[in-house]
Amino acid sequence: MHQLMKFSVWPLRMLLLSQVLVSCGFGSTESTDGSNPTATPAQTGSTEQIVLAIGGESEEGYDPTLGWGRYGSPLFQSTLLKRDEKLNIVNDLATDYTVSEDGLTWTVTIRNDAVFSDGEPLTATDVAYTFNQAAESGGLTDVTVLEEAVALDDTTVELRLKEPQSTFVNRLITLGIVPEHAHGPDYARNPIGSGPYQLVQWDEGQQLIVEANPNYYGETPGIERLVFLFVEEDAAFAAAKAGQAQVASVPQALAVQTIDGMTLYDVTSVDNRGLMFPYVPVTGTTTPDGDPIGNDVTADPAIRQAVNYAIDRQALVEGVLEGYGSIAYGPVSGLAWEEPSAAIEDAQPEKAQEILAAGGWTDSDGDGVLAKEGLTAEFTLLYPANDSTRQALALSVAAMLKPIGIQANVEGRSWDEIEPAMHSNVVLFGWGSHDQTELYNLYHSRAAQGDFYNAGYYANQTIDEALDLAMGASSEAEAIAFWKAAQWDGNQGFTAKGDAAWAWLVNLDHTYFVSDCLDIGQPQVEPHGHGWPITANIAAWQWTCN
Amino acid sequence: MTVTSPISKPMQRFRSNRRQRILWGIAWCALLLVAMILSPWVIGDDGLSPVLVQRNQPPSLVHAFGTDWLGRDMLSRSLHGMSLSLRIGLLAAGISALIGTGLGLAAGTLGGWVDAVVTWIIDVFFSLPHLVLLILIAFAVGGGTTGVIIAVAVTHWTSLARVIRAEVLQVNSSDYVRLSYRFGRSPIWIARHHMVPHVIPQLLVGLILLFPHAILHEAALSFIGIGLSPHIPAIGIILAESMRHLSTGYWWLGVMPGLLLLLSVKAFDWLGENVRSLLDPKTSQG
Repeated sequence: MHQLMKFSVWPLRMLLLSQVLVSCGFGSTESTDGSNPTATPAQTGSTEQIVLAIGGESEEGYDPTLGWGRYGSPLFQSTLLKRDEKLNIVNDLATDYTVSEDGLTWTVTIRNDAVFSDGEPLTATDVAYTFNQAAESGGLTDVTVLEEAVALDDTTVELRLKEPQSTFVNRLITLGIVPEHAHGPDYARNPIGSGPYQLVQWDEGQQLIVEANPNYYGETPGIERLVFLFVEEDAAFAAAKAGQAQVASVPQALAVQTIDGMTLYDVTSVDNRGLMFPYVPVTGTTTPDGDPIGNDVTADPAIRQAVNYAIDRQALVEGVLEGYGSIAYGPVSGLAWEEPSAAIEDAQPEKAQEILAAGGWTDSDGDGVLAKEGLTAEFTLLYPANDSTRQALALSVAAMLKPIGIQANVEGRSWDEIEPAMHSNVVLFGWGSHDQTELYNLYHSRAAQGDFYNAGYYANQTIDEALDLAMGASSEAEAIAFWKAAQWDGNQGFTAKGDAAWAWLVNLDHTYFVSDCLDIGQPQVEPHGHGWPITANIAAWQWTCN
Repeated sequence: MTVTSPISKPMQRFRSNRRQRILWGIAWCALLLVAMILSPWVIGDDGLSPVLVQRNQPPSLVHAFGTDWLGRDMLSRSLHGMSLSLRIGLLAAGISALIGTGLGLAAGTLGGWVDAVVTWIIDVFFSLPHLVLLILIAFAVGGGTTGVIIAVAVTHWTSLARVIRAEVLQVNSSDYVRLSYRFGRSPIWIARHHMVPHVIPQLLVGLILLFPHAILHEAALSFIGIGLSPHIPAIGIILAESMRHLSTGYWWLGVMPGLLLLLSVKAFDWLGENVRSLLDPKTSQG
């Protein structure tokens, strides 16, 4: 009988156990603060220190030649050029640059007073080394077009390209310069650079502490020490509410809340979300890794266009993003190279039904899901399981597609599980960059290599040509006409009116709670969330209370 | 047992027949649980689709449990989740009963090295933290809903097997069993004719009391995000999601499904206790 009595105690024990687990998962940051006295974040901010709970930990470390800072603002390092709050290109390390007539040689002169945080001066040799190294390593910063970089003297560097590339200026904006003398395999963990801040301590998965670089050539940063807390979105909100973080990035769903003593910054971004459709039918081909390519349902243009027309994007912005976002018809909303005529009138289920009917899709068996020649209008819609915004978008989109007879089966998975499936299933992706190279990589048939770029294996010769022309143009300004033509030129394009290779949904606003005592200036239109886009102007941040 | 019509005076029933009261209790608990299991087929999937215009509504007449951040009806979600959990519990209890009875009987009757091996397996299972074992198995069989079901199903038999083994050992040493051996009966014949009738009450009670474990384990697994997609209405996922909204004051997201979980686990507890007092010779004559 004793055995039997034991049973009834068990459920209680389980409940306690699961609670212990919960507190482990969510409370880890608080406990580590206590165990490390040197790193204890102050309860309130000051000129000496502020705490930022804005995520953005780079698991690969902080080596620009391997991809750190590929969306700009590398913090530890400085770049040759940078974009100001209006996205104009301004000098940073560079004092001047010229491009040769044929677009193949970029000559950059750099300032002579820049010093790395270890005291060594930054010379043209370091710049040349950085570019050569990045080209060699083939990291996420794409400098494969670089033939070689040569330092002509201490302050002049020549970048020689294999072919002209109109987007190459973005490499000068995003690639942080690393010191040749201190660059090696362990550099990513101990970055040394000429940026406004230098690394003090990095507890992986928990926090990262940086201090102002005394050798920084620019304006001395207004805040001495920054602590980046790496916590979940809701924990960031809780930390801000408890006064433990002075800057907290929160999901849009939490931005409707208020926190005493903090102001919500609603920063526009080109951080977009959209549905990527596999463009080709199933033919049995696979990627180099052996993953299947193609989907018979989404290979039908009628399906892709109908999805584009049926979705009520404004409802997504208001419902999922709580108004902190904007509708997207293409991947470059609000940037100078967006083609305005590519926009469509969406939220039209009737029009979507017409398109489907014209495409031969009918509901012959009356089950509410269309079919065509034995093929059911059904696809799996994958989203990364840890991203609540994408989950909400996926579920809402599936609900919007149901009335027009398209069945989207929503599934949340980890990225490891999505990668092998992303060439044969619809995936809710997010992109967004100030760099047009991304457009090229999303839509050019050559970019489809079984990776995230052009995952749907979209291929259209006309679009390829337009993208090639844009890429090969001698300047960014000249390239814009071609970038626009690739989106929609009146007859063809990759946007909804044309091939509808994607169904773009929304652009997210990045929402931050910022302490009223902290003046963060005017934030720029932010790119996709990797790294710390809000720190682009960090040197100008000021603590205004005492 | 006398049959009284439901219109007889409650006080009289209360005083006169405790056995009947227990039977009523069992009936109500069973009814409640069966209703929970079947509820998704009655209410359908309508409440599970997001309705963006009615987000974060507190409980009302239309939405008894309120709505969540996507405007999904929390009552539908909770019932779907509870039903999933109960079905997993049912399966786990069934499989545990099979394995537990089989191994318990084998260990008790065959004895010797069989007993040693079975006891050793049970000890190994007990020495591993249960949740860790669950996570390991769920992960090893490929995750997903199937992973969770398999993990919960194959890890709950140990206590049952131990109870049954003890019972069998006890019966085994009784005179009539020894006599049976002397008559030359095979261990299997003895197991079937002498052990099983003794073991069945133990099994029944153990089975019912296994349910809450299995349910809470399933909830714990889905809470920490093993396998199931985060939009699937499983009770653990619903509770995990409500954690995010604790700081924002949407109390109904956690409280209402939590109460439902509490209610169903408690219902099983009552069921188990009542069945036991019916079957246990010490209390069944009261």
